[in-house]
Amino acid sequence: MITGNLKASYAADERVLDNGYKQGFVLAAAALCALMPFIANDYIILVASQMGIMLIAVVGVNVVIGYTGLLSLGHAAFMAIGAYSVPILHRAMAAAGLPDAIMPFIAIPGAIALSALVGIVVGLPSLRVKGLYLAVATLSANFIIIFLIELEALAPWTGGLVGLNTPDANLLGWELDTQREMFALIAALAFVTILAVQNLFRTRVGRAFIAIRERDYSAEILGISLLRYKLMSFAISAACCGLAGALFAYFYARILPEQFELALSLQLVAALIVGGMGRTMGPVFGVIIIVMVPEILKFTFGAIAGGAAEVAQLRAPIQEIIFGLLIIFFLLFEPMGINHLVDRGLRALNRWPFARG
Amino acid sequence: MGEFIQFTLNGLMAGAIYALIAVGIVSVFKATKVVNFAHGYIIMFGAYFYFTFSVIVPGAEWAPSWLQSWEPAWMVAMRADLPMFSPMGAVLDWLSNLPRILFGLAGAVICNALLGLAIERALMRPLIGQSTFAMIMITVGLISVLSGTKGLIWTADAEFVPHIAPNTPIRFTVFDTPVFLFGADLVNVAIALILFGAIVVMVRYTRGGVAIRATAEDQSTAYSMGISVPRVFSRAWVLAATTGAIAGAILATRNGVSPSLGLFGFSVLAIVLMGGLDSYVGVFIAALAVGFLEAMAQWQFGGEFAEVVPYIAVLIVILIRPHGLFGQKEVERI
Repeated sequence: MITGNLKASYAADERVLDNGYKQGFVLAAAALCALMPFIANDYIILVASQMGIMLIAVVGVNVVIGYTGLLSLGHAAFMAIGAYSVPILHRAMAAAGLPDAIMPFIAIPGAIALSALVGIVVGLPSLRVKGLYLAVATLSANFIIIFLIELEALAPWTGGLVGLNTPDANLLGWELDTQREMFALIAALAFVTILAVQNLFRTRVGRAFIAIRERDYSAEILGISLLRYKLMSFAISAACCGLAGALFAYFYARILPEQFELALSLQLVAALIVGGMGRTMGPVFGVIIIVMVPEILKFTFGAIAGGAAEVAQLRAPIQEIIFGLLIIFFLLFEPMGINHLVDRGLRALNRWPFARG
Repeated sequence: MGEFIQFTLNGLMAGAIYALIAVGIVSVFKATKVVNFAHGYIIMFGAYFYFTFSVIVPGAEWAPSWLQSWEPAWMVAMRADLPMFSPMGAVLDWLSNLPRILFGLAGAVICNALLGLAIERALMRPLIGQSTFAMIMITVGLISVLSGTKGLIWTADAEFVPHIAPNTPIRFTVFDTPVFLFGADLVNVAIALILFGAIVVMVRYTRGGVAIRATAEDQSTAYSMGISVPRVFSRAWVLAATTGAIAGAILATRNGVSPSLGLFGFSVLAIVLMGGLDSYVGVFIAALAVGFLEAMAQWQFGGEFAEVVPYIAVLIVILIRPHGLFGQKEVERI
């Protein structure tokens, strides 16, 4: 039983994992991810990789929506920028005669930088408008970016409507041509991203974001430059989404513009709401739910229908309805998400048997 | 010059229908302060209801034959001695379809009104007084629910639905160039304009409209003055859903019935923000302007450019005037 926060030194107070549950969870997750490439079957690797990619993106969305309080419905566009940068940069580097083995080391930072740049441009309206207006502005930006990708005139670079074939990552001669090897990279980068973002909120920049979320005018009066920090928030979150997009491009053999449309933006926000906004673990829980729902449905439908076509075609609509109901349910009954449920459970566990909840 | 006039007319006609859709978003916002992201999907439901009641139900075995096609003796006689492609022939075609058109419209309006009531009662009322974020995201969740439900109920797409009015082609010459219009389009525009005008007048002059404006001004004061705020809310949603049903039926006759009708709602949302969320006049002007610009983009650059016009327009307008062309500036307290 924990009877209080008994910390004897500043170092103990500043630790990221400041209690046993957090340490246990993070170590177990790290061990699981490290073991997974050796023991899991292909299907589990596929699902886990999808989760990893989504997780990086949702962590990015969390920066802008959860911590800075700027409602954005266009983050799929940043993933698109990240994903399309990879094959385009690879082609440019091949033309310049660079060896394959160092390309990812340029392509991934390149994708991140490009996304951050686009993020700053898309974030510009946030200086003038907020709330609903910003939501529509980012949504418009999503439509416009996908439109540009699909545009006939840019098709020599972007592949237009039919998409692009993407290269495999080659890390200094280690060719990541199986999903298992890609998973190792995705898991490592997901850990790094979460850690980096978690640490961001222990710095001046992160605290400025939170001040802007609480009340932007008050933050400005306190000397926080709204221009600088709002754009920085957009840049950081777009950079995370760009990284997710780049990994997406390496992971799959082909990317299509329709994969990055509004539906993906809504999925990212849905994962954030379900998991819990403005919390480090929120995206983790949310992504687990959002990625697992389609898989569980697939199994249930397989068990019920056993391959009957007319039942199987009901799966996509039901999946959509469940996504929508999840958003609505959590907003109505548990606006702080699964993270809050977990918190309550752990607290009850701590105080048992003296108090519940 | 002739082409310019042709495209301008097409654009303005599309703009009038945008205005009819936008009126639903504005009405709901005025009364409840909720911006309905899912309005496009409510319109899609309207279109599918119209399709159900004007095509599927009359085509069923148990339906009376006059519902499918109403052909009294005098009409058969009249049609027999008409020349091919005469305007009168189009009118007669429309007359024989009239029962199912009316049935379809009535069915669409009633079903959509029930849908609007259900949404308001189940999702919106528990959220009275909650943050804007929660309200917006609830309507975003509603998008998924509605589009999934559509997939469960209606599996067939893009079928022909009967036009609301006789679809006679109308030709005339301006500046020595021929201009070409369809009768049904003109009637659609007339319906859109009349409904838009009626709603503006209703909000301005009737008791219910005054109640809506009072609620928009201050909910708790309106409540204490004896206005039933929940009833105002449900009235606004029914208003939005019924105008959405008619807009859906019109869109269905123009572009066919398909899930892409839902995406229409986003461009109309852009138009609404452009005009100013709480201003009917601003939204009307913005709708016509976007319709015109879309037609120009289509004329000059090709069809796919027309799709992004509303989004580019709203970005420009928001950057210059954050509350839209005619929107009221919100006063914020710290």
